[in-house]
Amino acid sequence: MAHPAYTQEEQLARATFLALMWSLSYPGRIYELPEGSNPLHVIADTLLDLETTFYTPDGELAHYLGRNNAREVAVERADYQFYPQLTNDLLVTVQQANIGTLLYPDQGATLIIGCSLDGDTSLSLSGPGIPPAQPNKIRVGGIPNAFWDLRDNANRYPRGWDVYLVDESRIIGLPRTTIITVGGE
Amino acid sequence: MSLTDLAQPNQGYSYAFLDAFAKRELRRRILKGIAIPGYQVPYASRELPIARGWGTGGLQVTLSLVGPDDTVKVIDQGADDSVNAANLRRFITRMSGAETTTDANAATIIQSRHRIPEEILGEHHALVLQVPNPEPLRRVEPDMAKARILHADADYGQMWLVLYEQLVRFGRYIQGAAYPVMVHERFVMAPSPIPRWDTPALHQSAHLTLLSAGREKRLYAVPPYTNVYPLEFTDVPFEVEDQREWACRTTGARNKFLNELPMDDGSSQFELSDTGYMEKLVNQQRGEPITVGTTYYDDEGNFYHDGYLKPRYNGERPSDA
Repeated sequence: MAHPAYTQEEQLARATFLALMWSLSYPGRIYELPEGSNPLHVIADTLLDLETTFYTPDGELAHYLGRNNAREVAVERADYQFYPQLTNDLLVTVQQANIGTLLYPDQGATLIIGCSLDGDTSLSLSGPGIPPAQPNKIRVGGIPNAFWDLRDNANRYPRGWDVYLVDESRIIGLPRTTIITVGGE
Repeated sequence: MSLTDLAQPNQGYSYAFLDAFAKRELRRRILKGIAIPGYQVPYASRELPIARGWGTGGLQVTLSLVGPDDTVKVIDQGADDSVNAANLRRFITRMSGAETTTDANAATIIQSRHRIPEEILGEHHALVLQVPNPEPLRRVEPDMAKARILHADADYGQMWLVLYEQLVRFGRYIQGAAYPVMVHERFVMAPSPIPRWDTPALHQSAHLTLLSAGREKRLYAVPPYTNVYPLEFTDVPFEVEDQREWACRTTGARNKFLNELPMDDGSSQFELSDTGYMEKLVNQQRGEPITVGTTYYDDEGNFYHDGYLKPRYNGERPSDA
């Protein structure tokens, strides 16, 4: 018997989800989002619907995200936050992102941040998903270094932010469990 | 040209049965589960064409991952051929077009009821465990809201008390399956009722483990390379099942998890619980060119992470020296 149709939409959503899932499982490794589509749009289409809330400082993107019937809310209440670019001015905003409660740490915000994954800032990662014998290093650009201090201050495990770094179709996941040292050896 | 080529795609169901709305919700929860290892994420468990309690939790997770490029293995207490496993496997492949296999190393998604395969799973394999009771604190705190507060406070004193009472009454830990574990030094987790034998396989594993309880509407995860330690007192180590004297009647394998088969004369015989692994061993012994993967426990019973399992407790307290 033929299986139900594997539609274009299903394919995009599944490929995006697998990239999100594996990038969060193996922090620091680069995964590929589906080619030929706006990365922030496919992530939104995969995760957002009328049960979710979002925030983005980008008006045009906000219009697209609203298409999924997700609600646009203030930054401190938004589950999913999309930053096509993270400038110094926006740090005051990001700082207010929700970290969840001790009872429901899963309510902590997911931050999706556009950046370069071949930048000058070197980050050393350790934590779950990273084999202890080989500390993982990534290079990022376009994110103010102060952001990593903000993340460090916000993360009160199990509360905290889960971050995805997106560079065109490439994606890196940094769950709240990942310990990040800027410029580490 | 065959009839299958001419047939319209099946439009009676969404791809992989679940509608897009349900899949998005599950996927969001799975991501949060991975981000907080061992934490039980609530989710809206959907109706499926099998009854709750027969693997609906695991099935929903599998259906939100699966695609036509996947190879799926379904295990029921180690066996690929039980009615429950065969039905789930047929349903998954009918709804997704995924290939099926009994070979653990060839599968990209393994949905399992209460066993982890003997062969070591590699990176980018998803092990989906069906869970009947996700709450390790239930027996000490039946109120779910209060149990959640205990998790929030990392207050696991009562779990230690349960273990201590077992030692006082029986002289050893008597919990067989679902032995409570500490995940990433924070959350105590019930690793579904896998035997103690399989519990160490969750520690610093290369694969991703997703656990899901359909009836209880909670899912949780153990990401790869994450610390998972059984609760144990320093002077009385956690032990896996003692099957050192047992050997599989079909393959002669030792130091793998074996089922005890009672015989008519009151004696017992033993057989490998993992039928996929047994099939490979049998074929290899027949001289077929088959690669059997490395196993979590070698033939002498040594676990692959050196030093993770401590020497067995011999009933004597270590001296205070």
